[in-house]
Amino acid sequence: MLLQNVPVITLLILIPLIGAIIAFMLGKNPKASKIVALVFTLIPLAISVLLLADFSLTVGTFQYVEDFTWISSLGISYKVGVDGISIAMVFLTTLLSFLAVLFSWDVDERTHQYMGLMLILEVGVMGVFTAMDYFLFYVFWEVVLIPMYFLIAVWGGPRRAYASIKFFIYTHIASLVMLLGILALYFEAATHLGYHTFDIQQIASVSGQFGQFFQIVVFGALFFGFIVKMPMVPFHTWLPDAHVEAPTAGSVLLAGLLLKMGSYGIIRICLPTLPYGANQYQIVMVIIAIVSILYGAIMCLAQKDLKKMVAYSSISHMGIVMLGIATLGELGIAAAVFQMFAHGLITAVLFMMCGIVGHHVGTRNMPRLGGLAAKMPYAAVFMMIGFMASLGLPGMVGFLAEFSVFVATFDAFGWLLLLPIISVAITAAYYIWAMQKTLFGPLTKEVDLEHVHDITWFEAAPLVILSALIVLFGILPALIFDYITPSVKLLTAVVLGGA
Amino acid sequence: MIDIQAIRPEIIVALFAVLVPAVGLLTKNSSKICAAFSLVGVGLAFLDVFMFVYNNNGAVSISGGMLSLDQFSALFMMIFLAVAFYVILASARFIQEDRHQPEFYSLIMIATIGMMIVASSNDLITLFVGIELTSITSYALVAFRKKDVKGAEAAVKYFIIGGLSSGLALFGISLLYGVAHSTTFTGVAQAVVMNSPMQPVIFLALIMIVAGFGFKVAIVPFHMWAPDVYEGAPTTVTAMLAGGSKKMGFIALFKVLLIGLFAIKSNWDVLIGIVAIATMTVGNLAAISQTNIKRMLAYSSIAQAGYILIALPVAAVSDPTIGQYALSAGIMQIMTHAFMKGGAFLIVATLATVAVGESISNYKGLAKRTPFMAFGMTVLLFSLAGIPPLAGFFSKFVLFSSPIDASSIPGNGWMVWLAIAAIVNSAISLYYYVRVVKYMYVDEAEEGTPTEKLKLPISMVAAVAICVFMVVLIGVWPDPFFNAAQHAAAAFFA
Repeated sequence: MLLQNVPVITLLILIPLIGAIIAFMLGKNPKASKIVALVFTLIPLAISVLLLADFSLTVGTFQYVEDFTWISSLGISYKVGVDGISIAMVFLTTLLSFLAVLFSWDVDERTHQYMGLMLILEVGVMGVFTAMDYFLFYVFWEVVLIPMYFLIAVWGGPRRAYASIKFFIYTHIASLVMLLGILALYFEAATHLGYHTFDIQQIASVSGQFGQFFQIVVFGALFFGFIVKMPMVPFHTWLPDAHVEAPTAGSVLLAGLLLKMGSYGIIRICLPTLPYGANQYQIVMVIIAIVSILYGAIMCLAQKDLKKMVAYSSISHMGIVMLGIATLGELGIAAAVFQMFAHGLITAVLFMMCGIVGHHVGTRNMPRLGGLAAKMPYAAVFMMIGFMASLGLPGMVGFLAEFSVFVATFDAFGWLLLLPIISVAITAAYYIWAMQKTLFGPLTKEVDLEHVHDITWFEAAPLVILSALIVLFGILPALIFDYITPSVKLLTAVVLGGA
Repeated sequence: MIDIQAIRPEIIVALFAVLVPAVGLLTKNSSKICAAFSLVGVGLAFLDVFMFVYNNNGAVSISGGMLSLDQFSALFMMIFLAVAFYVILASARFIQEDRHQPEFYSLIMIATIGMMIVASSNDLITLFVGIELTSITSYALVAFRKKDVKGAEAAVKYFIIGGLSSGLALFGISLLYGVAHSTTFTGVAQAVVMNSPMQPVIFLALIMIVAGFGFKVAIVPFHMWAPDVYEGAPTTVTAMLAGGSKKMGFIALFKVLLIGLFAIKSNWDVLIGIVAIATMTVGNLAAISQTNIKRMLAYSSIAQAGYILIALPVAAVSDPTIGQYALSAGIMQIMTHAFMKGGAFLIVATLATVAVGESISNYKGLAKRTPFMAFGMTVLLFSLAGIPPLAGFFSKFVLFSSPIDASSIPGNGWMVWLAIAAIVNSAISLYYYVRVVKYMYVDEAEEGTPTEKLKLPISMVAAVAICVFMVVLIGVWPDPFFNAAQHAAAAFFA
């Protein structure tokens, strides 16, 4: 516990913020702003690795907690900390932020703003994953919207204006509903505690006494806010638009981190705070999960745009996260967190590949592509790694995650498992078709492949790192599970107690 | 007893207001010197009030309590003086080309005195005098560019509506006097409790007063004039109308309803709730289709008035802690709105001085021409929309939370709809705010507009910077501001 007396979480939030301010000021020097962004995402990455090493695996409670009064009259504090669930997300955040900046090395339009926004995004996401106060949580939750909005709106594709506003309004409305739920918790808890506080743990400590009707209504409000972010069918429509128009690194962070905020919120807030509500909503969660898994997978079959296909596959894979959560059991929730982590790594590879194909070849339209493996062999390798990991090839991180969720589902619901498991076959189908259409077969004549070259160093480096981690955690899942399990144990004890 | 301290801030401002024309004569109408002189006056008065708050003295009053300086009135005085400060600062260049500049500053200061009197009044007559003082000077300010057709039209409209609403309010006041034989709020309150046979008259007075002040604060259905007047007035004056004088109307409503007519709250709480929801909804829906940025901001201002109105019924609930909380939330929203909306109008004014038009489409590609103004506008608009960590988020947060809190009291369950309506409206409003941001950052400038960087007058940029800074400061560190609002609310109910 070397880092015990270091405000390590604050550093993780503050360093990217400082980096963002510096990057914004380097308007006339794009190169410098890139270096600043790289350095100021590398330092948090290093810190988070140190944090992983320093973290105590034996207890499941929050560690490195910092607690300062912020707005005393309302009982709002700046309280941050990590437990086993959030530390996995913290590592993912620092890793993907760093790689996304690296991958964006060729952004040459308004570079300083771009890099600054990437760093602000990291600040927001980091805050969401570490906040232990509802108000703080909500502030960071909303802060995330702004950089993402600009990243899509300024550096996005042709329909970026539409997609960015849709993204902003859609997720903002969901946040507002969530806010109503938070306020209800705040006032209800005050009547039990005798004082007003936004502290997540303190509210959870009395939430068992909340009325059943109250729990159902408030769980609904929070749950709605979170599943729009995840996103689950039928609230998913903002996602394909946002992804298709977002710049590549934006998509990586959107799918890799922002979607996780939704599922993280359910695990961190909904379940332990409103256990009765959770048990009442279990059937709803299962239905939403299965529909999302199958709908997302089936939609993938119909896509022509490679990136849109990957976007829909995200819906399907986040459905698996939801399914794990819906079991309300220890293995299921731990597996859900593991799937969040796995999906973060895998989807980053996939979106980077979409970006590379779109950028180098000039189109992501699969019917117009073909035979790319001959032209860009290294890229093809990474693309296959991504596809294989995503469809759940054993030995890779995605397999372990999905497999554990399915085991937990069988434990909880028995043969209902047959429904979501169909998606495995569909997933294999669309990825293999996609591979066939883009990488193999005769060279396409629809696009000019004359000048297509293989991936550059700054594109290869993130892919190498991600691929290595995908295999590493696939072979040694305990590396992550050891962090997650103790915390999930604590959490499920509460949830099952509220049944 | 007479304690001069109770009206010392007003006296300071009045002295400077009277002396500005003389200063103008001596310095051949140098707008810089006149503005600086006025700023000193406003600053001194601000300091005076601030020291009063800082020393945390008890309330002081004059003329048997007709005017009193307490934490409530002091906070509002500071808000009004801050608004006057940035308006004068920005006006130095904005009205440089006009004649009669010293009078312009003089009028702004006199209008501010009127608002201060309203803030500290304990009596229907002083309240009315304060309102009229501000109104009449405001008519003149709106008409200041008398050769501007739009401005003249706006002034006429403002004058007629303003006169009508004053008449209505005065009629209501006289009815109350007839019932109570007293013009003080406490006297009225006592009479209202005792006079159950006079209920119909009191109710008529209530309607008259709500309508009269409703015009002043532009709540639905008395809002029609606001977009026209806001559009036609010189833009720095618009900033003052939106940031300052409109808030004065809220104080009047607070005082009349929450003190004078508190006993018959069951007659007005649902009514005001409905008006609040109607106001925010109409304002937001109308704002979406606007093409002129001043009109858009004017409608958004109407919507914001709807939000503030929420505080009224919630502040009247039987639980005094919740009531106080709601009132402090309303005060907080007024405070942040003074900077958000005032700042936004100042940006419009600043850009107008370098020939950027008032159509929203003129703002396309603006981020490249003036990064600071685009950034400032973005901060202010996001704050208006309630995005954290900006001031508007915090004030909306406390404001919208108060009805949720109150809804747990038996009989007040309907109040939760106030919060839901406000939140839905907040989401709607995001659309038109973000559209401006999108124009500035995403869209390319329209063909034919110059692309070189804009050179903006420093004093105006400074005024905008004050507003942006305050919006960020209150958002990040709301504690002292909210404490002040809570003290004010406590003093109000004391």
